Amino acid sequence: MTRPVLAACAAVFLLLALVPLLESNYLIDLFNEIMIYALFALSLNVIIGYSGNVSFGHAAYFAIGGYTMAILLTTYEWSLLPAFAAAVAFSFAASAVVAYFCTRLTDIYFAMLTLAFSMLVWGVAFKWRSMTGGDDGFVGVDVPAFIAERVPFYYFSLVVIGAAVAVLWVICHSAFGRALLAVRENPIRAGFVGINTRLMRWWAFVVAGTFAGIAGSLFAMVHRGMYTESAFWPESATVLIMTLLGGMYSFFGPAIGAASLFLLERLTNEYTEYWPLVLGTILLAILMFLPEGLAGLAQAIRRQILRGR
Amino acid sequence: MRRSLLAATAAAAVLAAGAAQADEIRIGVLYPIAGTGAVYGEPAMHGHNMAVDELNAAGGILGKKIVSFARDTKLKPAAASAAAKELITKDGVDVLVGGLSSAVGLAISEVARQEGVVYVATIPKTIKLTTEKRHDHVFRTASHTDFEGDAMAQIVAQLGLKKICDIQLDYAYGHDLAAGIEKGLKRHAPDAEKVLDLRVKLGATDYNAFISQIMGAGCDGVTSGLWGSHFVNFAQQGSPFGLFQQIKYISGGEIASHEIAGKMKGDYPDNVWSNTYELWYHHHDPSHVAFQEALAARSGTGETAMWPVLAYIGVKFIAAAAEKAGSMDADALSGALKGMSISTPVGQRTIDPETHQADTGQFWGPMVRKEGADYRVMDPVTYIPAVIEE
Repeated sequence: MTRPVLAACAAVFLLLALVPLLESNYLIDLFNEIMIYALFALSLNVIIGYSGNVSFGHAAYFAIGGYTMAILLTTYEWSLLPAFAAAVAFSFAASAVVAYFCTRLTDIYFAMLTLAFSMLVWGVAFKWRSMTGGDDGFVGVDVPAFIAERVPFYYFSLVVIGAAVAVLWVICHSAFGRALLAVRENPIRAGFVGINTRLMRWWAFVVAGTFAGIAGSLFAMVHRGMYTESAFWPESATVLIMTLLGGMYSFFGPAIGAASLFLLERLTNEYTEYWPLVLGTILLAILMFLPEGLAGLAQAIRRQILRGR
Repeated sequence: MRRSLLAATAAAAVLAAGAAQADEIRIGVLYPIAGTGAVYGEPAMHGHNMAVDELNAAGGILGKKIVSFARDTKLKPAAASAAAKELITKDGVDVLVGGLSSAVGLAISEVARQEGVVYVATIPKTIKLTTEKRHDHVFRTASHTDFEGDAMAQIVAQLGLKKICDIQLDYAYGHDLAAGIEKGLKRHAPDAEKVLDLRVKLGATDYNAFISQIMGAGCDGVTSGLWGSHFVNFAQQGSPFGLFQQIKYISGGEIASHEIAGKMKGDYPDNVWSNTYELWYHHHDPSHVAFQEALAARSGTGETAMWPVLAYIGVKFIAAAAEKAGSMDADALSGALKGMSISTPVGQRTIDPETHQADTGQFWGPMVRKEGADYRVMDPVTYIPAVIEE
């Protein structure tokens, strides 16, 4: 990791650690949710930015992680660690199976298949009322006592997400990550060089799904509930837009996109019920004017300033 | 870049949260203001504001002005949960009121439990809210699915129906109402047999598949809880097939309200028996005349909606409890609400100290064409009290 990036990460981590000192429950909840969505978007970017495929069904693994956590903690009264491990294992297993089928395809066929699988997950969550609560949602998750209060949970969440992001960074900047970039840029050439492109894309999908599951399991705890909307396709679209808004060619871009979109949604909700209209406009603006997202914009501005000097 | 963004939002949010608070009473209001639920949510908001204005004109609660903070629940439990939490943590509301749709009610109640804030549910009917999911800070002034199902079973018995098709929305309200009807049928019409169970997704607009299933099932009665625009769509799609000539339609979900009958006018089908909390043309309690006149003046129409009275009663309960408790503290408020009794435009209402449930009955009857009325009215109107006789 380059030194300025490391310093910036440490600074952000420290600033986030200071949030509870503001003594506002609202801000603690807000930053907690932003961090969760940031991890969710970063995980999706392993598929989009690194392997070069677009997934329309990423919410499925978020929901699997969340429901697993909620059900094991509450219905089966598991303690935190085994429940968390199971949530990770379930999202790993689900994405491994789905990836097996999806990575046989590319482009639009890949995207459609991811969508189909996510609707399947949604269907199960909707219809399996006795287990998931169906359309009413799984309300009232029993969070273990030592993190039941707001501030301890915030720090727990911060540490888990911090560690997850660090691991994602290492994965994306390892030889594996570089190989993925090669696959993205030119799969045929990458294949000739000796890279097993399908296996690489399979791993990218599994990594993305697993980390989305971690984000989902934290979401279930912060909301003390899990709802079918979390598995529905608009959720997949939202995280996709977060990734695009932030910039898919930058590792941290999606996190910035997640924070921006989340804050924007909260703010517009206070003034208008027409959030979808705002969202559509944002998407249009990204596609037309900011193909590399906010991270790309920031870089362009920096280049401009350096040139001006 | 990210750091400055975080710092800026933190600063903005702190400023917003630190606004004046001490000399006012803050009420968090949760109704759907857009989409499928707005048919009921908008009039409910009207009644809420009417109660708040009346109280403020008389000096507020405990001498403090009442300020409402309204949020759209979008009819979704996840959105309602987030909105309720934000009302408490950001706007610092003293109490939550409202909720439309049972799933939303349960989600708000869970937030109230975690945050230790009183929630008065004015519309959600799922029995679970005051049974297995009850906690010290949740109270309901609406009716519930066991009362409603029991009343529907009484009508099934009166009409002598033998074969019942049940069509319900696929969420808490629908499932609990189906259970309520089943229990009621055992009491009142033990020889009626349920021949078909249908479940419709909340927010559905296409009912053709369900209509043909009902028509093919050979039932003489349909019990249902399709409310609001669900019923409007269902009736408009079923009428051309002669569905309502073939069966008697007994419905919960307040489709006898002015909102639905007045909106559908000539499209309102035959053979419908339904319920409502209030009718602008029926004065059950003497105080209703003045209430209805005030509402009419506010709404700009003599034919007023039904939902305002529910939201109105919710606010009045909170005000009465706060005055009795002498504070807006959640535990004091909860203590005062237990056993609280107030007079409302639709009669005296008392909250059971054990179950936290108000004895809210409903008006039931057939929806008929009447000379001089340009849409269907309930006639005769029967008040079925909130009592289940074993």
